[in-house]
Amino acid sequence: MATQVAKRTDRNLDKKDYCLVPPVDIYETDNEYVLKADMPGVPKENIEITFNNNELEINGKIDEAYTSSDNLTYREFTLCNYNRKFLVSDKINVEGITATLENGVLTVTLPKREEAKPKKIEIKAE
Amino acid sequence: MFTTYDLLDDVLTLRDMVDRFFDEVSTTRRRVEFPYINVYEKDDDIVIRAIAPGVSSSDVNVQLADNTLTIEMNRKEDYADKPYLRKEREFGSYKKSIKLPYYVDPDRVEATMNNGILTIKLTKHESVKPRKITIN
Repeated sequence: MATQVAKRTDRNLDKKDYCLVPPVDIYETDNEYVLKADMPGVPKENIEITFNNNELEINGKIDEAYTSSDNLTYREFTLCNYNRKFLVSDKINVEGITATLENGVLTVTLPKREEAKPKKIEIKAE
Repeated sequence: MFTTYDLLDDVLTLRDMVDRFFDEVSTTRRRVEFPYINVYEKDDDIVIRAIAPGVSSSDVNVQLADNTLTIEMNRKEDYADKPYLRKEREFGSYKKSIKLPYYVDPDRVEATMNNGILTIKLTKHESVKPRKITIN
């Protein structure tokens, strides 16, 4: 929760821009890569995940209700749109990418292609 | 303020440095504790929002005692027993108390969790609202 990431510069103050970089965890299993990103304040329908030229891009449009500063008397956080890109290897089965959102945490599963999965090598008896 | 650490942040925010030098107050309020909150006030209502990604509503405890609101949350680790390529998210238990500007109605506190944001709505108690005194 801490590395609640992003560079806040004056040019980022326009809420329409993407200015938050969500912190992520990525782990690898035999069959897939799993990416978890903290994106509080983004409804499911506002998340856009694109895969293009080995580049995985995650965009999250913040719910407008959380960006308004009307009646704000004390501030510790500012939310705005999220954006992050990852360069991914060719070994991903692009059609198989799935994503879920729960309590503001986005989970993207990137399955490996069959040929990239670990294979057990049989040792032939002589 | 919901930001990642950037080496240049400390170098370039001159205003920040000057402020800290004089009164130890940062203009960006970056060194606040979790959970991060925003407070909104309008007429007789207070709305408090807290950032709580990955926290389910059963792990949040909101308590009102007198005019102090305490938010307690436990963000459980969701680590898999697998090799990690990146670990940037943070977990743990957090607690924060907020002193409210006036006495609120304890029966009309409304707390909701939505997409990782905790929203608590409070209303001023009838007894502290201004009352017209009739002159006999």
